[in-house]
Amino acid sequence: MTLAVILKQVPDVVEELAIAPSGTDLDRDSVSYVVNEFDEHALEEALLLREATGEDVVVVGVDTTGELDQALYTALAKGAQRAVKLVGDFEGSWLSTRALAGLLAPVIRELSPRLVLTGVQAPDDLDGQLAPTLGALLDWPHTGVVVGTELADGVVRVRKELWGGIMLDLELATPAVLGIQAARATPRYVPVGRVRQAMRESTIEEVEVETPVESAPKLSRLRAPEAAGRAEMLTGSPSDVAERILEILRARGLY
Amino acid sequence: MLTTPERIAFLLLALASLLLTLRGVRLIVRAIGRGYGRPSWGVFLRRVIPVSLDILLQRPIFRTRPLVSLLHAGVFFAFVFYGLVNVLDLLEGFNGYSTLHASGVASAYNLVADLLSVAALLGMLGLLLRRFGLRPFRFNRAVFLLPSVRFGISRDSAIVGGFILLHVGSRWAGQAVRIAESGRPDWSQPTASLLAALLGGLDAATLAVASHVTWWLALGLILAFLPYFPYSKHIHLFMAPLNLILREEKPLGRLEPPVGNGQVGAARLEELRWYQILDAYACIMCNRCQDVCPAHGTGRALSPAALEINKRYYLNRNLNSFAGGTASPPLLETATSRAAVWSCTTCGACVRICPVGNRPMLDLIDLRRHLVFAGDEIDPNLQTALESLSRYGNSFGKSARQRARWAKDLPFPVKDARKEPVEYLWFVGDFASFDPRMQENTKTVAQLFHQAGLDFGILYEDEWNSGNDVRRVGEEGLFELLVEHNLAALGKARFRAIVTTDPHSYNALRNEYSALGLDVPVYHYTELLAELLERGQLQPSKRLQAVATYHDPCYLGRYNRITAAPRRVIRALGLELREMPRHGENTYCCGAGGGQIWMDSGGQERPSEQRIREAIALGEDVRYFVVACPKDMAMYSDAVKTTGYEHRLTVIDVARLVAWATGLIELEREAAPVSQS
Ligand code: SF4
Ligand code: SF4
Repeated sequence: MTLAVILKQVPDVVEELAIAPSGTDLDRDSVSYVVNEFDEHALEEALLLREATGEDVVVVGVDTTGELDQALYTALAKGAQRAVKLVGDFEGSWLSTRALAGLLAPVIRELSPRLVLTGVQAPDDLDGQLAPTLGALLDWPHTGVVVGTELADGVVRVRKELWGGIMLDLELATPAVLGIQAARATPRYVPVGRVRQAMRESTIEEVEVETPVESAPKLSRLRAPEAAGRAEMLTGSPSDVAERILEILRARGLY
Repeated sequence: MLTTPERIAFLLLALASLLLTLRGVRLIVRAIGRGYGRPSWGVFLRRVIPVSLDILLQRPIFRTRPLVSLLHAGVFFAFVFYGLVNVLDLLEGFNGYSTLHASGVASAYNLVADLLSVAALLGMLGLLLRRFGLRPFRFNRAVFLLPSVRFGISRDSAIVGGFILLHVGSRWAGQAVRIAESGRPDWSQPTASLLAALLGGLDAATLAVASHVTWWLALGLILAFLPYFPYSKHIHLFMAPLNLILREEKPLGRLEPPVGNGQVGAARLEELRWYQILDAYACIMCNRCQDVCPAHGTGRALSPAALEINKRYYLNRNLNSFAGGTASPPLLETATSRAAVWSCTTCGACVRICPVGNRPMLDLIDLRRHLVFAGDEIDPNLQTALESLSRYGNSFGKSARQRARWAKDLPFPVKDARKEPVEYLWFVGDFASFDPRMQENTKTVAQLFHQAGLDFGILYEDEWNSGNDVRRVGEEGLFELLVEHNLAALGKARFRAIVTTDPHSYNALRNEYSALGLDVPVYHYTELLAELLERGQLQPSKRLQAVATYHDPCYLGRYNRITAAPRRVIRALGLELREMPRHGENTYCCGAGGGQIWMDSGGQERPSEQRIREAIALGEDVRYFVVACPKDMAMYSDAVKTTGYEHRLTVIDVARLVAWATGLIELEREAAPVSQS
């Protein structure tokens, strides 16, 4: 049996992001990509499950960036057994979560995994829709905000984090789709030598897919955040400070 | 003269003893041969004479502990001479040849033998007294020791010491007996004659028996001891010179790449190189390496001595099976612990001090290589640093584009060496580029270069971490990645020489990169500053009247012997330099090297704090703790605060002092020295 992990690349925000002249996209030439942080946790959780049960881990991704290989090889170097890359004509568009799920669902069904693990959310999927959408398309049980898993006969026991630190333990029939919030351990370090070894010795399976017809809302404008968070320390006697506060409020038309 | 049965017995015993010894030696050779690689005979031929001379002069031993070294020298010279003495004594036993009451050369021989016997006895007594009385063997509680080691070290020392005492003592007493038998003192053997005077009262029969007994105790004892010899630390007698002679003349700052064939680093004894196994046999268990180890000195689990001693005792106990080719248990179960492996700062002090040429540090790096490659859990901070290094080329998690941001604040542009040729390519280094506390220094260095009219440029975002510490953390693949990147970037630039601010980068570029294809001179900025001052390109307008001490960075002072240049700068500014006890090549580590700067040291007193105390002990009037390494600046600025000496001692980069003297910058009030224009 296998555990499928979905990996997605997102722009690296350590690098400065710029908006393309079109105004509806990032300047892709200056963007570099990293694996969505939560997906890293999904992979780590899958690897931990593998260590406990001996399942094979298959990483799956849609290559929207042209650079997915790096992420897949890294996953192989960390201990995944197979890597599947979905390729198609996606250049110049961000796939919506719904479109992504649509592409992934048939491929995953084919893999017939015991579990599908993905990050609970991503910078372009802040409401964490990937796991539920996939679950719906596959008609498998699903849940999100998972912080721990354990496989048993025909079920997976998961621990979810609720508000205020309250934990919820659930049992889902497998196959199931899980949105991982945090793996039980920090995602492991993979030495560069191992990644290079994987690049030499393993192959990435490719699956050609049709570009989905989007029914998602159309993007009209992308904007950089306004410079914010300017703080000013007010000093002096209490009456000076009060005076200054009034001035500020007045300047902003609040008083 | 021996009786015939005695002679036969001696010959038979000698044969048995030699066969047993030979067996042991052969096993040892085979054990060492299980390591990777083979010694080079070219190296042997080239080094055998100069190194033997060094050994005869006892140079490697006198690096530290003068008194103990003197005792050792006494024992050593006696031992060398005793080779001859034993042969002559053998002759005496078998055909009655004797130098007693002889004259000429033989009397000179007698005199030397007589005096050396006493020297050896006293030397040995002194060494034993020290080991068992004054300074018994101690390790930090956290240090991993094989159970056999705890008791074994004392036992081995006692046996070897006892053997030497009994062997030399019996020979000496034997001479006295023979002098007593002759009835008159032999003036060429004064001390034995003195003893003979005490024996004067004994009758002839007793003396005859005593003569036989002492002969057997002196020479027969060797036969009894020989088979034990390969298992004792006495074997350093052969292994230490061999180790010293066969050591390739490579800089300490150039590590060997992993052995290849899929194996990265070493998990087991047989995965080490041959000389790392030889180290265990050369080790004399003196603990000198432990004394200078900053990790052990701050209570951590690492003792380089314990590592070698454990290896040795493991081998002693399992020599048969190990030499026979059986896989040995992991080194982490027999030689050292994870905690120890990760506390090494790769300061190289153990390597420098070891009198027998051991390099325990290399084992630790090989173990790290293994652990990292095998996916063993590593310190989370280290992991973050490595991930950042492989992604952005720096350990700060910052975009490479921000590397040269500091240069924007300068009143002049810094040349881009990728776009125009420069004389000096300045390899700035991570800390100097990214650490906000260090950027001021970096700007100062740039201003000084500018002021001196130096033609220099930088690589901007194409400079990546040199990988010096990455390699020493054991992440060999990442090291290769960084080297590839930097070599490509350097290939795009045109320059005559490289100058670095960071001693770690300096070491990598000079020693590691040169082995991988880089062929240009590399300078440390202190070398350049010294020259610019001496050539008058930098002109101090003020003299600094203060007392300063200077901390040699391990990778500058010890690894690359750049100790004069920074001192030339300090003196050129008019400062009075007062040295800490540990300076130059014997400097003490700041605790940041070998990747420690990225790891959590675990809350004990840090080496940097001990170092500040060392400086404080130099006297009230020491104002400056001068550093020449961005990491030192970070470590010691912290340490001077945590030790509470912030107001007494100012930690300052040598470049800042120069810049102050040339009028480039002002120093904060409390940092400014008393000056005269
Ligand atoms: S290199 Fe330094 S820290 Fe490491 S074992 Fe040797 S003396 Fe100790
Ligand atoms: S390794 Fe060298 S310095 Fe350390 S105990 Fe052995 S002989 Fe002494």
